[in-house]
Amino acid sequence: MLGEKWTGYWFVLPGTIMLAVILGFPAVTAILESVGLVGGKGGASLANYTRLLGDTQFHATTWNTLVFVVAVVTFHLVMGLAVALLLNLDVPGRWVFRVLAILPWTMPDVIGGLVFRSLFDTLTGGVNAVGMMLGLMQEPKDWLGSPSWALFSVIMAESWRGYPYVMLILLAGLQSIPRDQYEAAAIDGAGWWTSLFHVTLPNLKPMIVIALVLDIVWECRLFGMIYGMTGGGPGDATQNLSLMVYKQYFQFFDTAYASSVAVVLAAVLLVVALPYMRSTLRKEA
Amino acid sequence: MNRGASYWTLTYAALFAMAAYNLTPFFWMVTTSLKTDMEVTSFPPTLLPAELTTGAYARIWSQEGFPLYFFNSIKVSGATALLSGAIGILAAYGFSRFAFKGRTALMAAFLASQMLPGVLLVGPYFKMLSALALYDTHLGLILAQTTITLPFTIWMLKGYMDTIPVEIDQAAMIDGATRWQCLIHCVLPNILPGLVATMIFSFLLAWGDLLWALCLITDSAKQTMTLGITNLVGQFRVLWSDVMAATVIGCAIPAFFYLLLQRYLVQGSAGSAVKS
Repeated sequence: MLGEKWTGYWFVLPGTIMLAVILGFPAVTAILESVGLVGGKGGASLANYTRLLGDTQFHATTWNTLVFVVAVVTFHLVMGLAVALLLNLDVPGRWVFRVLAILPWTMPDVIGGLVFRSLFDTLTGGVNAVGMMLGLMQEPKDWLGSPSWALFSVIMAESWRGYPYVMLILLAGLQSIPRDQYEAAAIDGAGWWTSLFHVTLPNLKPMIVIALVLDIVWECRLFGMIYGMTGGGPGDATQNLSLMVYKQYFQFFDTAYASSVAVVLAAVLLVVALPYMRSTLRKEA
Repeated sequence: MNRGASYWTLTYAALFAMAAYNLTPFFWMVTTSLKTDMEVTSFPPTLLPAELTTGAYARIWSQEGFPLYFFNSIKVSGATALLSGAIGILAAYGFSRFAFKGRTALMAAFLASQMLPGVLLVGPYFKMLSALALYDTHLGLILAQTTITLPFTIWMLKGYMDTIPVEIDQAAMIDGATRWQCLIHCVLPNILPGLVATMIFSFLLAWGDLLWALCLITDSAKQTMTLGITNLVGQFRVLWSDVMAATVIGCAIPAFFYLLLQRYLVQGSAGSAVKS
């Protein structure tokens, strides 16, 4: 690293200004708005946050978000690990499957939502068509019209779309595990499952943590997929915290209350991401 | 290693199952877009189109204004990629080559900003744009997208620049080069593939966004691709062949570039934490 103390500041100045004006300023405004210091009338108060505690819609939305994120992230990890192990095998034609493996993730999330909305459509959707053809159901199911099935359908959709990214992180991890560890395990008579649990998974642990943290952050703030697929409905059955903030802010114009929900969400995400950020900074800065 | 026939059978069976799972929604999207109006609204639906037609593509291209949305998306995403690339190069060089007070704190701020949910920022930003008369302009949208893509651009470019030895800079400066010339002539040519990949990621992130376009754009002539597609889904009657034709067009560019840039993907969003 070179000296010239002030030159460094000049290089990072334009980026820092953008960060401060376009992300920093709105973030601070949102916090101030949520405690009544911007746009409010009565001065500082925690009224919006006490309202959150008693708001059944907020409770239901938080529960939806939690169910959605736990289900989707679990699927992503299991499926991601399985496909990563598969693609790590030395088989002819591997690159073709590698290309196919990441395809779902290339789809913009709102487009994924619309495609699955079409697939789960009651009368014209492919899911009901195949289900009835195979005799699994007698009459078409209204997937997106029933509260619990709608949440299930949205989980299916995002499970499909998001897993390749987790898979790629885990595949990168698998490829960096030294081969001699497997050879040593084989000499000790370890089978496939034993080496999976005693060589692969322990070595993969840091990558699993990174994938887990980033995936939780992304799925917690997911917007386009749910907006495109159900718009949060029926009722509020598939509404997550991001959609709730959007609706409170841009449809009901209750901007102070919307900001308090957003601040809670942001605080949770920053706490979840803290270990990842600390290890990244320690390694790089 | 010698493997039995059952090993190969199982492996390929699993690989083909994965491929089928991944391709099914794409298959549905493409076949639906090629169905006739009659077929796409009939019950029960067909899994393969009985009659192929490109009528839906012709309709959205000539009647629904999709050439304009497509152009708007190219413009907004392209400007985002260029702007965040330019600002990101400067900042990454600053972080990579200089020690200054507050450097770690600033890098931490850029990193943390990537974790914030868009809905926290978009409301106050919308008010800010309204006050500056930039609401419903592409400039306002581009500035927002740029700031979102800037943090990972900086972190990725810094990672590439760190692999270029500082001695190259020092040698050039002994020969009388300025800092600026070092960056342009010594560092940039060496990180060019990484720079292009990073800029394409910015492009694609802006391309796939819905939230910011939805909140900052009202004029239908200024809609981006994703917003135009979303608005195509009416409340009462959805002609799925048209919607799917539009999504095929909206998917084609990201699918192409992501597949091209596979090996940069992991570094892209997981950043340097993935490097061992």
